[in-house]
Amino acid sequence: MIPSQFEFRAPTTVDEAVELLSNGMDVKVLAGGQSLLPVLKLRMADPEMVVSLTKVDALRGVRRDGDQLVIGAMTTHAEVATDPLIAAHAGLVGKVAGTIADPQVRNRGTIGGAVVHADPAGDMGGALLASDAQMTIAGPTGTRTVPAAEFFVDFFTTAVDEDELLTEIRLPVFDGWGADYQKFTRVAQQWSIVAAGAMVRTSGDQIAEARVVLTNMDSVPRRATAVEQALAGVPVTEEAVASACAAAAEGTNPTSDLNGDAEYRRHLATVLTRRAVLAAAGHRGT
Amino acid sequence: MTIMEERQAEIGRPRPRKEDARLITGRSRYTDNITLPGMLHLAMVRSPLARARITGIDTSAAASAPGVVQVLTGADLAAEQGSMPNAWPITPEQKTPPHPAVAVDTVNFAGEIVAVVIARSAAAARDASELIDVDYEDLPVVTDLATAARDEEVIHPDLGTNRSATWVFDSAQAGTGGDVEEALANSEVVIERTFTQQRLIPAFMEPRSTVVDPTGEQITMWSATQIPHVLRVMLALTLGVPESKLRVIAPDVGGGFGGKLQVTPEEVITLLAARRVGKPCKYTETRSETMMGAHHGRDQLQTLRLGANRDGTVTGLDVRLLADMGAYLGLITSGIPILGAFMYNGIYKFSAYRFECTNVFTNKVWTDAYRGAGRPEATFAIERMMDELATELGMDPIEVRRKNWIAHEEFPFTTVASLEYDSGNYEAATDKALELFDYEGLRAEQRRRRESGDPVQLGIGVSTFTEMCGLAPSRVLGALDYGAGGWEYAQVRVLPTGNVEVVTGVSPHGQGHVTAWSQIVADRLGVPFENVEVLYGDTQVAQRGMDTYGSRSLAVGGMAVVAATDKVVEKAKQVAAHMLEAATEDIEFSGGQFSVRGTDQGVSFNDVALATFAAHDLPDGFEPSLDSDATFDPENFSFPHGTHLAAMEVDTETGQVRVHKYVCVDDVGHVINPLIVDGQVHGGLAQGIAQALFEEAIYDESGTLLTGSFTEYLVPSAPDLPEFTVDRTYTPATTNVLGVKGVGEAGTIASTPAIVNGILDAIRHLGVEDVPMPCSPSRVWNAIQQARTSGQQAPEPEVAP
Amino acid sequence: MELTHHFEVPASKETTWQTFNDLEQVVPCFPGATLTEVDGDEFTGQVKVKIGPISLTYQGTGRFVERDEAAGKIVLEASGKDRRGNGNAGATVTAVLTETADGTAVDVNTDLDIGGKPAQFGRGMIQSISNKMLQRFLDCIRSKMTDEQPTGTP
Ligand SMILES: Cc1cc2nc3c(=O)[nH]c(=O)nc-3n(C[C@H](O)[C@H](O)[C@H](O)COP(=O)(O)OP(=O)(O)OC[C@H]3O[C@@H](n4cnc5c(N)ncnc54)[C@H](O)[C@@H]3O)c2cc1C
Repeated sequence: MIPSQFEFRAPTTVDEAVELLSNGMDVKVLAGGQSLLPVLKLRMADPEMVVSLTKVDALRGVRRDGDQLVIGAMTTHAEVATDPLIAAHAGLVGKVAGTIADPQVRNRGTIGGAVVHADPAGDMGGALLASDAQMTIAGPTGTRTVPAAEFFVDFFTTAVDEDELLTEIRLPVFDGWGADYQKFTRVAQQWSIVAAGAMVRTSGDQIAEARVVLTNMDSVPRRATAVEQALAGVPVTEEAVASACAAAAEGTNPTSDLNGDAEYRRHLATVLTRRAVLAAAGHRGT
Repeated sequence: MTIMEERQAEIGRPRPRKEDARLITGRSRYTDNITLPGMLHLAMVRSPLARARITGIDTSAAASAPGVVQVLTGADLAAEQGSMPNAWPITPEQKTPPHPAVAVDTVNFAGEIVAVVIARSAAAARDASELIDVDYEDLPVVTDLATAARDEEVIHPDLGTNRSATWVFDSAQAGTGGDVEEALANSEVVIERTFTQQRLIPAFMEPRSTVVDPTGEQITMWSATQIPHVLRVMLALTLGVPESKLRVIAPDVGGGFGGKLQVTPEEVITLLAARRVGKPCKYTETRSETMMGAHHGRDQLQTLRLGANRDGTVTGLDVRLLADMGAYLGLITSGIPILGAFMYNGIYKFSAYRFECTNVFTNKVWTDAYRGAGRPEATFAIERMMDELATELGMDPIEVRRKNWIAHEEFPFTTVASLEYDSGNYEAATDKALELFDYEGLRAEQRRRRESGDPVQLGIGVSTFTEMCGLAPSRVLGALDYGAGGWEYAQVRVLPTGNVEVVTGVSPHGQGHVTAWSQIVADRLGVPFENVEVLYGDTQVAQRGMDTYGSRSLAVGGMAVVAATDKVVEKAKQVAAHMLEAATEDIEFSGGQFSVRGTDQGVSFNDVALATFAAHDLPDGFEPSLDSDATFDPENFSFPHGTHLAAMEVDTETGQVRVHKYVCVDDVGHVINPLIVDGQVHGGLAQGIAQALFEEAIYDESGTLLTGSFTEYLVPSAPDLPEFTVDRTYTPATTNVLGVKGVGEAGTIASTPAIVNGILDAIRHLGVEDVPMPCSPSRVWNAIQQARTSGQQAPEPEVAP
Repeated sequence: MELTHHFEVPASKETTWQTFNDLEQVVPCFPGATLTEVDGDEFTGQVKVKIGPISLTYQGTGRFVERDEAAGKIVLEASGKDRRGNGNAGATVTAVLTETADGTAVDVNTDLDIGGKPAQFGRGMIQSISNKMLQRFLDCIRSKMTDEQPTGTP
C-alpha cells in the first residue's frame, strides 16, 4: 500500500499550519492518520501536500478553563477516554472515546480528526452535540467559534473549510449527570450500526433533564429533542422510559446498508435509546 | 557406555512451539522480506468491471513513466502464459474455460489482472499502474448462482453453458446402499430444506507475495504458498519450463487456510516478468487485492431431503448442490464440493444416499479450498437436518443423533457414501461434552427464560461431526480423477554429532510442524528434542512432497517421518551390532541406546552416528550412512470426530447473538502436542463461528465486491468469541502407527452448525424456522419479526396470547 | 442502483424542456462537473467528487439517447472512469415532464452504476451519497428553470 507522492510538512504552531493550508496547493491536514492514511494508501486521494499537526503541541491535551473543559483537537481518543477531568465533567465524551475502534486506533486517532472527518457512523459527534460543545476553528482571517449543532453539515462535511483548522473543543462542565453510550455493532471492532448516547440528570427517582443523541441515524449526528422533552419528569422505570423513548427514530433518515436496512436502524434506535437513558439514570435492570 | 536417565516421552508433551521465538521476535523471513540485488517490482492493473471486453489498453504513459522498465498486457504474454491449471477435472466432460494469467480479450470478474508494470521500485510500479488506460466494453454480468445455472446469459460463450460439470454419487449404483427415492417414498417423514453456504474469504494474515530470481541455473521462486512442490510441477506444465530448471521455496508463510493452496496468476506473471527482463522481480499484493483477487471459499446452494421414521431412524438422504465456481476453475475448484460428497452421511448409518452437484460459473473470483473444503458444507447440512428432524418429531437433538449414529462397537464401518471409518467413539465424546456443558442445567435455564418471556432467549446447538482427513490414499484420488497422488515424503539425516535433520515434504505455514515432528523423532531416536532440526518448504531441500492442506500433514507426512526414522534405526542397529560384536537380531533399541539383548552392553545413538560418519570400521558392504527416506501412501483416510455444544443467547429486541458457552470434545486420536492441538481447535472454532455469525463476501449486481476490506468483511477478534472449553477423547486411528487423525479443520467444520442450531433453538418457539448465514443481528431480528407477523396473519384464536 | 426524484417547477413545460435540453446548463449543475466539449447530442466532461478526504475525478462522455418532446421524455446517458483507475461510473437519467396546473412536474429516474473502489470501500454509503448528489443536481436544474437560487445544503 503505497500512497502517491506528496510534500510533507510538520509545523509547530497553529499559525504556521494555517498558513500552509492557503499556499495554493492541494493540501490535506494529517492528525492521527487513521482515516486519512487508508484513503491515501488506497489512492482515493492524492494531495500535493500533507501538513501534519503532530508537532503542534498547543493542540494537545485537556484543561479546565473556568466552567469549561477545553480539549485540544490533537488529543487522542485514548487520552480522552482516560482523562480524569473528562470523566468527572463530561462523562459521555469519555465513554464514547473508549468505544471507538481498538486500542491501536485510539492511541493514534484524535478527537479533532474524528469530528472533522465527520463520518456519519463516527461516534464522537453525538457526544459533542449532547454536551453543547463549542468548536474553535482557526483560519487565514482569524479564529471563529461554531456550536456543535452547526458544525456537522453533511456526510463527511463540517463547518471547517479547506483552509481552516479545528483547534479546540470547549465543553461546559456537566456535574452530577449520568451518561451512557449504547453502541451497536456486529463485531467488537466496527463502526456503529446505530448508537444512542444519553446524559441524564435525575432528581429523586425522576429524570430531571435528559440529553439524547443518535449516531448513524442520518448523514450527521442527531439530537433526539422529542425524546428529551418526553423524558423530563418521567420516573426512572423501564415502562416510563420506554414509552418516552418510543419516538427516538422520529425525523431521522438512516441509510440501508450491509448491516441492516433503515427500518431495522429505526427500531434499534428506540431500543438503544431506552437502554442508554436507563443506564445513564442509574437504573439497574435486566 | 552411559546409563541414560529415564527420559520423558516427547509425544504428548505440551511443548511450546520451537518456531515461535523466531516468529514473534521479528526474525521471520516472509517472501516480502526478501530483497535481491537488482530486484525489480511489479504492480498489477486490475479490472474494476466484472465482465467486459477489453477494447484497448494504452500503456504509453506508463511505459515512459520514471522508473518503469516494462509494461506487459495479456496480448504481450498470450503466447507464453498458457492457461492457469485445473488439476481436478471431476468428469471427463467437465467444461473448463481458458484462464489466462493476464486477461487477453475479456475480463470475467472484478479484480482480474489486465496489465502488469515492472519498475525499479514498488512505488514507481504503483504510480505507473495508474497511468494505464484500459477501455472496456461492458458485458452483462451474472453474479447469482441460481440465475447463472439457468444459462440466460452464458459467461464463457465458447462453452455454451455456465454449467461446468455435474457429478453424482448414488449409493444404489455404488452398491453401498439402497435407492434414495425408494427410501424417501417409504419414509414416515420427509424433511426438505435449502441452505446457503455463503461465500467466504480465507483472510490469511500474510498477503500473498512472490519473488522470482531468473539469474541462476535454476529459476528460483519464493512464494507465500502452502504448496511449493505442487506449484513447481504446475508451473513446469503450464509454462513449459523444464521442471528441473525450477526451484520453489516457501519461506515463512503467514497462514493459508486453503487460500494459498493455489497456483496463482500472480506467480505465473512474476515468473514470466522476471524471465523477460532477466532480473529478479517481486510482487506483493495489497490487502484489497487479496480480498478481490485471491480465491474465495464455500458459495454453494444446498437442497436436501431427509427421510426418517417417526421413531427418529433416518432412512435416506438426497443432496442436490449448486456450487459456485466463480469465473474460472482454479487448482482444485471443481473438486471442492466433491470432497463433501462423502461426508453428508456424517456419523450416521442410514442406508440410502444420493448426491448430485452441478458446478456453475459466475462473474466472481473463483472459489477453491478454504478450511475444511467441502466437508464443512456437508457437516452443516446434515447437522442442521438432524436438528430439523428432532424438531419435527419433538425429540431431543441428542436423542435423534444417538438413534442414528454408528455405535463404537460397530467399527470398522463402511458408510453409505463408501468410506470405511476405521475407529470412533461418538458415545464417549458426546457424554463427556454433555457433562462439561451442563446440558440439563442449560435446558432448565432455557425453559426459565422462555417461561418468563426474557428478552434474551437461550438456545442449545448440537453438532456431532466426523470428517475425512489424511488426504489421501493415492488410489482413491485416482478413482476421483484428481491429477496427483496423496502420498508424503520424509528424509531423516543423521549428522556426525548425532544431531538429526528431518526433511519433510509437507509445507507448514503456521501449524507448528517443526515442533511436532521434533517430538516424534526425538522419541523414536531417543535424541533430545532440541537436537532435531526440521527442514521443509524448498524443493532443493525437500526434494519431494505433496505439501500441507486437508489436515494431512501429521497423518500422512508424520507417518513418512516415522517410516524414515524406522529405516535409520534399522541401519543403525547394524552398525551397533558390529560395534558390540553381536548379531543384528540381538540388538535392542530404546531411549537412544542400542544394547545387546540380555546384557548390559550398549552404545548410544551418538556413538553410532559418529562411527558411521568416520566409517573406519563398519560392517562389510555397509553403505556409510544412516540417512534414510520414505514415502508414505495412506491406505485409508483418517476420521476425527467430535461433539460440539453451543449455548447461544439471542437478544430478541435487537437480534444480537452471543455465544454464551461453547464446549467441544474432539477425538483426533493420539495427540503429539496438546498445546498445538488446542491452538488448532481454537483457531478452527473462530473461523467456523465466523461463518455462522460474521463473514460473508458480498457482490453487488454489477459484480463489485462490497466487502472488499475488513471494515465490511467481518473477521472476529478475541472479544467476539467466548472462552472455549476444549477437551478430548482418545480413540486412536487404526490405519497409521501413530494413531493420529488430523485436527486442522475440526473446529471449523463442527462449530458452524452448532452455532446456527443454537440460534434456532433459542427462537424457534417464536415461529422462526431458519436464519441464513451469517446470522447477523438484522437477519435474526427480521426472522423474528416475520415469524411474528406471519403468526398474526394465521387464523388466530379468539383470545390473543 | 435506481434512484427516483420528483419536483415541480412554476414554469411552462416548454421552458422546462428547453432547460433540460441545454447541456451547457444541465451538466455543470452536477456537483463537481465541468463540461469540456459539446458536440451535438454528445459531450465530454469530468466530475470531481470530493467527499471528506476522498477525491476522485471521473472523465467521461455522455449523450442524449432519447428526446421525445411530445411525450416530454428525455434520456441522458453518461459514463466515465476515474483518472487513476479507481473505478468506473455510469448513469442513465430519464426525465419525464408533465404539465400541471401551476407549471411542470418532473419525474427523474436515475439508474446509477458505480464500480471499483468507491463501491468496494464505501461501507454501503454510496447510495445515500449518490442520492444527495443527485438531489443537488436536480435542485440546481430546478433553480435554472425557475431562475431562483438553489436551496438545500451545499
Ligand atoms: C480500524 C478503524 C476503526 C475505526 N472505528 C471507529 C469507530 O468505531 N468509531 C469512530 O468514531 N471512529 C472510528 N475510526 C476512525 C477514528 O476515530 C479516526 O481516528 C478518526 O476518524 C480520524 O481521526 P484522525 O486523528 O486519525 O484523523 P486523520 O485521519 O488524520 O484525519 C481525518 C480527516 O480530518 C482532517 N483533519 C484532521 N484533524 C484536523 C484538524 N484539526 N483540523 C482540520 N482538519 C482536520 C484530515 O485532513 C482528514 O480529512 C476507526 C478507524 C479505524 C482505522
